[in-house]
Amino acid sequence: MLRFVVRRLLLLIPILLGLSILVFLWIRALPGGPAEALLGERATPETVAAIERQYGLDEPVPVQYWRYVKTVTRGDFGDSTVSRRPVVEEFKQKFPATVELAVAAMLFSLLVGIPLGFFAAKKYGSFFDHASLVASLIGISIPVFFLAIILKYIFAVKLGWLPTVGRISVLIDVDHPTNFYVLDAILAGNWEAFVDTLKHLVLPAIALGSIPLAVIARITRAAVLDVQNEDYVRTARAKGVSPATVDRRHIFRNAMLPISTIIGLQTGLLLSGAVLTETVFAWPGIGTWLVDAIDARNFPVIQAGVLFISIVFVLVNLLVDISYALINPRIRYS
Amino acid sequence: MSVVELEAREITLEPPSGLWNEAWQRLRRNPGAIVGFGIVFAFVVVAIFAPVIAPSDPRAQNLSLIREGCCPGPSADYWFGVDALGRDEFSRVVYGARYSLLIGVVSVTVGLSVGLVLGSLAGYLGGIVDTVIMRLMDIMLSIPGLLLAIGIVAMLGPGLFQIMIAVGVTQIPIFARLLRGSILAQRENDFVLAARSVGVPRRQILASHILPNAISPVIVQGTLALATAIIDVAGLGFLGLGPQDPATPEWGTMLTGTTRYLQTAPHLAIIPGVAIVFSVLGFNLIGDGLREALDPKFRGRA
Amino acid sequence: MRGKSFSLLLLLVTMLLALGLAACGGDDDDGGEAADTGAADTDGGDGGGGGTLVFAGAADPVVLDGALVSDGESLRVIDQIYESLVSLEPGTTELAPGLAQSWELSDDGLEYTFELQEGVTFHDGEPFNAEAVCFNFDRWYNFTGSFQNPSASYYWQTVFGGFAETDPDSGAPEESYFESCEAVDEGTVIIRLTSPSSAILGALSLSNFSIASPAALEEFGADEGEVDDEGIFHPTGTFGTEHPIGTGPFKFVSWTRGDRLVLERNEDYWGEPASIDELIFRPIADNAARLQALQSGEIQGYDLVEPQDVPTIEGDENLQILDRPAFNVGYVGINQAHAPLDQLEVRQAIAAALNRQEVVDSFYAGRGVVAKEFMPPEVIGYADDVTEYEYDPATAEQLLQDAGVETPLEITFCYPTDVSRPYMPDPQRNFEAFAASLNEAGFAIKPRSAPWSPDYLGLVDEGKCPLYLLGWTGDFGDPDNFIGTFFQTAQKAWGFENQEIFDILNEAEAETDLEAREGLYQEANRLIMDFLPGVPYVHTEPALAFAANIQGYVPSPVSLESFASVTIEE
Repeated sequence: MLRFVVRRLLLLIPILLGLSILVFLWIRALPGGPAEALLGERATPETVAAIERQYGLDEPVPVQYWRYVKTVTRGDFGDSTVSRRPVVEEFKQKFPATVELAVAAMLFSLLVGIPLGFFAAKKYGSFFDHASLVASLIGISIPVFFLAIILKYIFAVKLGWLPTVGRISVLIDVDHPTNFYVLDAILAGNWEAFVDTLKHLVLPAIALGSIPLAVIARITRAAVLDVQNEDYVRTARAKGVSPATVDRRHIFRNAMLPISTIIGLQTGLLLSGAVLTETVFAWPGIGTWLVDAIDARNFPVIQAGVLFISIVFVLVNLLVDISYALINPRIRYS
Repeated sequence: MSVVELEAREITLEPPSGLWNEAWQRLRRNPGAIVGFGIVFAFVVVAIFAPVIAPSDPRAQNLSLIREGCCPGPSADYWFGVDALGRDEFSRVVYGARYSLLIGVVSVTVGLSVGLVLGSLAGYLGGIVDTVIMRLMDIMLSIPGLLLAIGIVAMLGPGLFQIMIAVGVTQIPIFARLLRGSILAQRENDFVLAARSVGVPRRQILASHILPNAISPVIVQGTLALATAIIDVAGLGFLGLGPQDPATPEWGTMLTGTTRYLQTAPHLAIIPGVAIVFSVLGFNLIGDGLREALDPKFRGRA
Repeated sequence: MRGKSFSLLLLLVTMLLALGLAACGGDDDDGGEAADTGAADTDGGDGGGGGTLVFAGAADPVVLDGALVSDGESLRVIDQIYESLVSLEPGTTELAPGLAQSWELSDDGLEYTFELQEGVTFHDGEPFNAEAVCFNFDRWYNFTGSFQNPSASYYWQTVFGGFAETDPDSGAPEESYFESCEAVDEGTVIIRLTSPSSAILGALSLSNFSIASPAALEEFGADEGEVDDEGIFHPTGTFGTEHPIGTGPFKFVSWTRGDRLVLERNEDYWGEPASIDELIFRPIADNAARLQALQSGEIQGYDLVEPQDVPTIEGDENLQILDRPAFNVGYVGINQAHAPLDQLEVRQAIAAALNRQEVVDSFYAGRGVVAKEFMPPEVIGYADDVTEYEYDPATAEQLLQDAGVETPLEITFCYPTDVSRPYMPDPQRNFEAFAASLNEAGFAIKPRSAPWSPDYLGLVDEGKCPLYLLGWTGDFGDPDNFIGTFFQTAQKAWGFENQEIFDILNEAEAETDLEAREGLYQEANRLIMDFLPGVPYVHTEPALAFAANIQGYVPSPVSLESFASVTIEE
């Protein structure tokens, strides 16, 4: 097990190196090069030359890359060209917002998706089964931003039940030591703030969570159907084990295997979806941060942001693989 | 992207010969697939005959229609209402089918052909080529799809052609992995070993034995990829990275400015959105049906 | 099998329909019921006082130092904290006493003598006097380095010209109108000019020339920091971000960027103190979100209401609309550096091809009038008899033929994205309408869009757009602030050199006799509209929205609006 984890961690190194090269080269492949891209329409040959000198862009590319790697490994990602604040500091503010949203979305999709898929499989061929199949098909066919707009229109604009944008109401004053607003409200013992942050979280989380929900429901259903016909389940039934125990001990547990894989894969989808969901709900997270940065050609932020997100994605998948190995006694990694 | 990829994992990779006929029989009996074919057929018909179906030019403005405020909803004259420039929304949605279909097909073709070549090379040659190609694919997969596409558009500039390429590129790794896995499985097959032992050249084995047998998961994947491509393209269009001419009736681009008019003209957001959902649903239904039809695991269950 | 497939089909259709219906549903029962939580509960807290008002702008201020900003969001807050020597009668552009109770201009037009208000103190307790005034003027005049960036100290450079030592590379004018500031006694200030300028007195009402506490300017390092290439000030001192100290009716409390900026009533205000206890500014970038926040009672007012939302707000009894008098112009810029736009016939063809009346009627919800020149009728020097250009595609095509250009004439037309301005609430919509009417008249328009920040203005200013959408909102009631800004010198955005126009505008600016001045500007307007450097198309009345129980807010044509007069009714 330990060797497996170590091996997987070592495999991360070429991926991260490759990623950093990719992002590094990408910025140099932008039309007109980074200096001109940074200066925009006001670029003149003199200012371009000045910027290139200032950022060492006139040196050979391998030299530039080496310097870049050196500063990055020191944890220095430079300053945002827009706010002039260190990128790492901005990241610390934006990242919890996205994590909070993604976790809420994932919880929503698991808590609804697994039972849905489970009961659909148990009632295979019934009306409920068909209904959930159709619903989940529509679920994976809806663009997340469209769902977000519709939810916002119905529940925030028309009905006025939930807030339309942001993470917390302006009149609520609470400190944000962790920047996870729900957690901050709990730490402060502020009930009003807690309810308020949850209210702000509902619509974005549902919008973002609905596609994973559909996928999880489908996979759960398929997995349960598969497991149900396995020999050990039949044996257990034949031995007279109560149906509830069979469900819990054999079917559910074994069906968890494919479901746990999917959580890892869905993380990528959640991060993609977060870009669009955050745009619709003006959620101050990584998604809007990066889209704004791309609009404003804020390269330090783009460089670091893509790297951070990919690292998170890769790490989540690693965790999933490890937990997969832990859950599944049949798999032994060498 | 990951949905498709994951579901592709479920596909069993070895379609036995003679399967096509049987698969077709099963497909015909699958109600979901029939609905899917119906939707996609309608979608294609609308796209091809858009000039006949649409009552007016999708770019023709009629500003006098919006003088009383933006924007009148559905009426007898304008079935889906009019947009912020007094253009007939129904005609725009109809013409939009052309763009979605075109963009979807082109970007999947890009992803599929490049993925096909890379995957075949990796799977068949193995060794260092395999390692390099597959590590590169891993790296591409570690960037969330939409971000990768945004990055590519930032490099190429916004535009219709550019988003087709961007979405196509994000699909390369999935097809490459699929092909490689499929080829690895086929390589050890009896008929391949037999062909090799009688001295058939490698390239010919690949072309006449391995690829044809690896093709059914690719078809399934391709159909599902069309669905993702339409969604991703709409997403890029929504973020304002779509066609440079804002008059282009592309569904995602049509959605972009509508949040501004959401209070007074929600139909402007709903109509192109529902069109996207329908077309994506069509491809997803066909993809599901194909998978069940081609997958031996499902045989006898339906 | 049959039954199963049928039920599946049925389900599918039902669910899709449900999706559509759910989304469309409630269309008839008109929005706005969300609003009744209202602003009434916001005055909770210390009771008895005037309550709290939350006002939303589109963005955060840049920094709270009038000398170094020109964006509306910064100025809105600065107007509450600071005051200038000269003020305006609320709701007009007429001059009124501010921190100076009276003033006098010497006969040669070179010396302004100001008598200051008595008994005024800054928020930090320092006295306001002649020395404090001169400290501020000397600070502005002695800006060095990146502070001389024309976008940063834009108003100083526009009004007073250059600096004590102007860096030749800065792009600032070399000559300065400013000679010196003298504190004659505690309550008297003389400002001396190097040559007469008629625009200066009106300009002194600008928030950019508001007087800050000298002690605070020094203590909190107002001049520490750097202006970047875009003209944005990045302070390293804390004056403009944590310690903005002026004499105004509100005092600074705190500022959390991206979230809220809190002010409180200045109890020691020298004039009539404000009624409300606390004033909070909140940035909400999305227009629809601002409206929803107002409807839900999260905020009590917001600026930059878009025309399509006006009926919704007017139809809601809990809300109200306030109009700002029209003081802006939206125009289609033409860059003559791009042939064949240097031919007058081609520009006339563009003017004849633009369906301005229809655009104004359809997109501005009755709050716009078609513009016939580059400044609104309220400003002196407006000429009623300029050449007008009727919409007529046939004439346009004929003019193109006469010019000898090949039709369709291909031209790139730029428009901004991610921005909403009173004169173009939805720029893309204006663009699309104009592009269509140009295409009909023998042009072939190539669209080019760019995000307003950071690209669009650069694109236009560097002369890269043959045709472009732009506009201007006046800062003070003077023609120099409109046509002087546009046409007094050669600019890359317009790409022409017309000495006749430059000369008459220079002459008009130096003229101190009001009547002669008016005549000169009228003549300038006639010349400009004959020369047709661009096509002005709209003056609009921008709208603000408030909860119905907010009273006493007086919209100003130049957006110089004080919250001191605002009350919250129970």
